[in-house]
Amino acid sequence: MPIQDEADILDTNLSVEIAGVGFRNPVIGASGCFGYGLEFSELIDLNRLGGFCTKGLSARPLAGHPPARIVETHGGMLNAIGLQNVGARAFIEEKLPLIRRYDTRVIANVFGYSEEDYMETIRILNDGEGISLYELNISCPNVKEGGIVIGNSAAAAARLTESARRLSERPLIVKLSPNVTNIAEIAKAIVAAGADALSLINTIVGMAIDVNTFKPRLSYGTGGLSGPAIHPIAVRMVYEVAQVVSAPLIGIGGIASAMDALEFIIAGATAVQIGTANYYDPLVTMKVIDGLSDYCKKRGISRIGELTGATFN
Amino acid sequence: MIETIGTVFRNDEITPGYKKLTLRFVEGISIRAGQFAMLRPRNAYEPLLRRALAVYRADDSRRLSFLYQILGRGTAALACLKPGDQVEALLPLGNPWPVDAAGSSELAVVVAGGVGSASVLMLCEELIDAGVQTEVFFGAASENAAIGCGLDDFRAMQLPLIITTVDGSLGERGLVTTPFSRRLAAIDGSRSRVYSCGPWAMMKAVAEIANEHGAGCLVSLEAPMGCGFGVCVGCVVAVERKEAGEYGAYKRVCVDGPVFAADEIRWDVAGMSH
Ligand SMILES: Cc1cc2nc3c(=O)[nH]c(=O)nc-3n(C[C@H](O)[C@H](O)[C@H](O)COP(=O)(O)OP(=O)(O)OC[C@H]3O[C@@H](n4cnc5c(N)ncnc54)[C@H](O)[C@@H]3O)c2cc1C
Ligand SMILES: Cc1cc2nc3c(=O)[nH]c(=O)nc-3n(C[C@H](O)[C@H](O)[C@H](O)COP(=O)(O)O)c2cc1C
Repeated sequence: MPIQDEADILDTNLSVEIAGVGFRNPVIGASGCFGYGLEFSELIDLNRLGGFCTKGLSARPLAGHPPARIVETHGGMLNAIGLQNVGARAFIEEKLPLIRRYDTRVIANVFGYSEEDYMETIRILNDGEGISLYELNISCPNVKEGGIVIGNSAAAAARLTESARRLSERPLIVKLSPNVTNIAEIAKAIVAAGADALSLINTIVGMAIDVNTFKPRLSYGTGGLSGPAIHPIAVRMVYEVAQVVSAPLIGIGGIASAMDALEFIIAGATAVQIGTANYYDPLVTMKVIDGLSDYCKKRGISRIGELTGATFN
Repeated sequence: MIETIGTVFRNDEITPGYKKLTLRFVEGISIRAGQFAMLRPRNAYEPLLRRALAVYRADDSRRLSFLYQILGRGTAALACLKPGDQVEALLPLGNPWPVDAAGSSELAVVVAGGVGSASVLMLCEELIDAGVQTEVFFGAASENAAIGCGLDDFRAMQLPLIITTVDGSLGERGLVTTPFSRRLAAIDGSRSRVYSCGPWAMMKAVAEIANEHGAGCLVSLEAPMGCGFGVCVGCVVAVERKEAGEYGAYKRVCVDGPVFAADEIRWDVAGMSH
């Protein structure tokens, strides 16, 4: 069920607003790490969650890469899932009706291999009832023909953002790739092209090698690094981007506690997304919400938004 | 599926490299044979991800044991646990071994390789309870490994038990598939149902032999897992495109398995490291 009473949910110190959409709290499940939300319904109260991003959706279903798809590294993991997903149409028909039973914000994560792919997916999703925003994945490092090219070029990313903005019937978040030299420049170009908000960061390209076979441990070769290991890199990038754009930012990368989330908020984020930690601590989103609430109470902070970019004001 | 904390009751070495971890839980947890748990020492920084272990035995619904081989970081961390320590646990996970009640004249042939034994001890107990005629083929690298993989618990069940070791230190020398293949040739394969858990190469051979003799075959697969409850889509196995499954040509071992019909699996697709 879409959130009915905006005033009601804004009546708490944790509520935030992104591109005109109210969230009951700034804690959002990250794409690819929160399934279609439903997987968590036995474990947590989805009605307490700020929102979640769906697994990356494409116009047609995708099978993904052969195994091995994941490997644990120090303080993190590499993945090369290959964007396996049910496809946008099946998402609307099979998943959304079940998701609508919960009172939480649904962000549809969109990717494609070409601009046309992205547009086709958005066109399909525009028909879906109960989606609050789109998040454009221009940064998935796993698919050769895809994201990496667009997300790494300010011009290409701006072009895609412009087309998506024109077609999209919902506010548009663009998710930034960390695999670039100057993330602030790309962020500026994307916001100028019409993005309503930015989320960052996606995974960092990495590699692990099997010392017995001399082959990469992932079938795809390289993979995206996520988890606690990337947290300081992500905080730095949010800080850098916060200096040059005024669009709301969503901080992502290695969050496992309320403290980790607060660093992003203080660096300039309005909300946060939690990814990998959900795998080894399925209750982590609830723990972070409680931790943020305690922090605000202890410090007499009446609205968590006061903390956004606080050190640098 | 519940998210809970288990308290270590015992964590004993069986033989070098193999341990049995017994956890106590506050709540009763009902487990079916073949189901597994995702486990990690509580609040550990290492490893990051939990490890999948089959429930070896349910002493009662609040006391569960896990039999494991110490391989890498995750199992090494579990091996350090002492009585009283706490373990983060998500369980029960995955689909159980299907056991039909007796009545059919079916013979159950259980083929365990290495620590794959951990997934089939409860299966054997359920088969006995259901009155199904059962035989066990138990393969390991050596006597140390065989005992470490719980051989004495299998012996105690008093089922027909054929043992093989690669180095010949116990039972027949060689691979477990040799006596298994002989046995299926000697009986009417189409009247038997094969249950197998072990290394990928062994299950692949078992599936081929079962198929040659017209025996139905079920396998319990292993894959490195990120979450264990269907979210990360990391633990997939390639399957035959019989029906347009939700995930196309790959299924998740954690929620679509770990037990699969052997003829559903694309044994030719490499990449399963375990
Ligand atoms: C459903 C299911 C049930 C299971 N049940 C059981 C059970 O009951 N008992 C049991 O013992 N196991 C079981 N397993 C397997 C168990 O989960 C794995 O053995 C365990 O996850 C291994 O984790 P680890 O951290 O100890 O090893 P990992 O660190 O994951 O390493 C695995 C192997 O890779 C090697 N390795 C690591 N890094 C490299 C590198 N860079 N180059 C080359 N080699 C490397 C390690 O040395 C080790 O041999 C089960 C698995 C599944 C999916
Ligand atoms: C297994 C896995 C799959 C992912 N799939 C997607 C995806 O489909 N789309 C996307 O935009 N990001 C995807 N991500 C990236 C996460 O949403 C997140 O940006 C990243 O993991 C960093 O956050 P974390 O350290 O909290 O995991 C995926 C991450 C992982 C680990």
